[in-house]
Amino acid sequence: MRLDGVGKRYGLRQPWVVRDVCVEAAPGQLIRLEGRNGSGKSTLLRVAAGITVPTAGRVCGRPSTGYVPERFPSGLAFSARDYLIHMGRIHGLRGPAVRAEADRWLGRLGAADYAGAPLRTLSKGMCQKVAIAQALLPRPGLLVLDEAWTGLDQPARGTLDAAVAERLADGGTVMFVDHHQARLAGQVSQRWQLGGGEVRLLEGPGTASATAAEGGRPEATVVIELSGVDPESLPQLGRLTGVVGARLVPSKDLEVGTASADGPVLVEIVALKAASDSVLRELLNWDDVHVAEVRACGEPTGDAR
Amino acid sequence: MTALMRYQAAILFRSHRWVLPLISYALLISVAGVGGQESLGDALNWSAAMLLPVVALLTRSMLTAEPPAARACVAAAAGPRKAQVAVLLTGLAGGAVLALAGAAYDLATSGELAKMLHAHPGLLGTSLGDGLGKAVICVLVGSAVGTFCNPPVIRHQAVAVLSTIAAVLVALLSSISPASAALRGSGAAIQSASWPTGVPFLVAAILLVASWLVSASLAARRGS
Repeated sequence: MRLDGVGKRYGLRQPWVVRDVCVEAAPGQLIRLEGRNGSGKSTLLRVAAGITVPTAGRVCGRPSTGYVPERFPSGLAFSARDYLIHMGRIHGLRGPAVRAEADRWLGRLGAADYAGAPLRTLSKGMCQKVAIAQALLPRPGLLVLDEAWTGLDQPARGTLDAAVAERLADGGTVMFVDHHQARLAGQVSQRWQLGGGEVRLLEGPGTASATAAEGGRPEATVVIELSGVDPESLPQLGRLTGVVGARLVPSKDLEVGTASADGPVLVEIVALKAASDSVLRELLNWDDVHVAEVRACGEPTGDAR
Repeated sequence: MTALMRYQAAILFRSHRWVLPLISYALLISVAGVGGQESLGDALNWSAAMLLPVVALLTRSMLTAEPPAARACVAAAAGPRKAQVAVLLTGLAGGAVLALAGAAYDLATSGELAKMLHAHPGLLGTSLGDGLGKAVICVLVGSAVGTFCNPPVIRHQAVAVLSTIAAVLVALLSSISPASAALRGSGAAIQSASWPTGVPFLVAAILLVASWLVSASLAARRGS
């Protein structure tokens, strides 16, 4: 699909939220939208999803679309299952398979026990799961996620990550916004950086440090060095609240002996300074993980703790 | 469109937003008979006229029922204009159901029914057709009024309610209104001195289409 000179403003006397956006999204691409609050990320997502028409330009070749809003505080009087069946039918699904799919998705997201409960009695996290299920149920060619991970528990976040990978493998396009910089970091194929109403196209996944260098993340960060981390739990570390990125320290950086003393591998995570206390507290719950060093981002590695 | 309308109808029923329009209509048509005996034609005329404010109210209920986040999901799936038209069509269908129920009530409670069936069966058909024709025009105008005076066209709640009331009064009482012309028209065909046959219906249909076009295009532009 293609956004061709797309501009959007919500009224003649209103300022342009985004303007002259010319970008293309190919099947199988994962696209991350970046920018500060109010930079127009949500607006561009809504234009791309076809929820609102652009004021200027046009969106061409948009496939069937599933959209997950930032908040789904539903005042609807449906049960979760009935809502999903209605949405499945609106997406063009027919027959008893819709009900089975609705139950399958609720089960995958860990909301099976709430399938019959009215939406208005559900918690924020549960409502978010229903919103995710309605978007994934029809296997859309375009999946648009506006901070869809917010409010989800850890297993559901994992399910959503997996569902995104499935959509991509299926040849679908996925666009997302998330304030968590490490979110799906390894799979991002394009980044659209919004600022001042314009969109800059950045190729490749972009590491946490690269994003910091571009000025997209003005918050102060700290580096936490850990030993004894199982390399397979690296993505899990990256998903902790407040963590911006996690990486294995290349072996050449290691002094001989350090590695075998505290554990097999040394891992470095970059966390927001404001959230570093909670990150450290969370790490206390991880077995065998030891904090080797905490330092401000950019400082050289010191010997002193 | 069927799936969208089923979804909208389910919202209407489960949110109990149908209760107020239904009760208002029931009250409005039942007070007509209180004053004493009236002819079947008069009863049908009154029932048709009362559809106008009730359908405007029903349309307002429909337009404000769906939470914006839920609407965004539907708009992504089906397109924002189509989603909006489904809302308005569901309201219109509700109006049609009320119109039939009103006519049935008038027939059932009319004292003339047995006499007319016996003596002038043709006349009965004519009055019924005439009354239903007026009802259709009032449903169309009611939907147009409700659409023009409520979100997304008028988003401020107080302004929307006040302008709906004002527009209903104008539509019922002013000579420029097709509904008023139809209600004042006498005889079999819907006509009056100033409005030739068929024109009230035509004008009502044009008003309806115009209001729906404006509403759907604003819904798409504002993104609910």
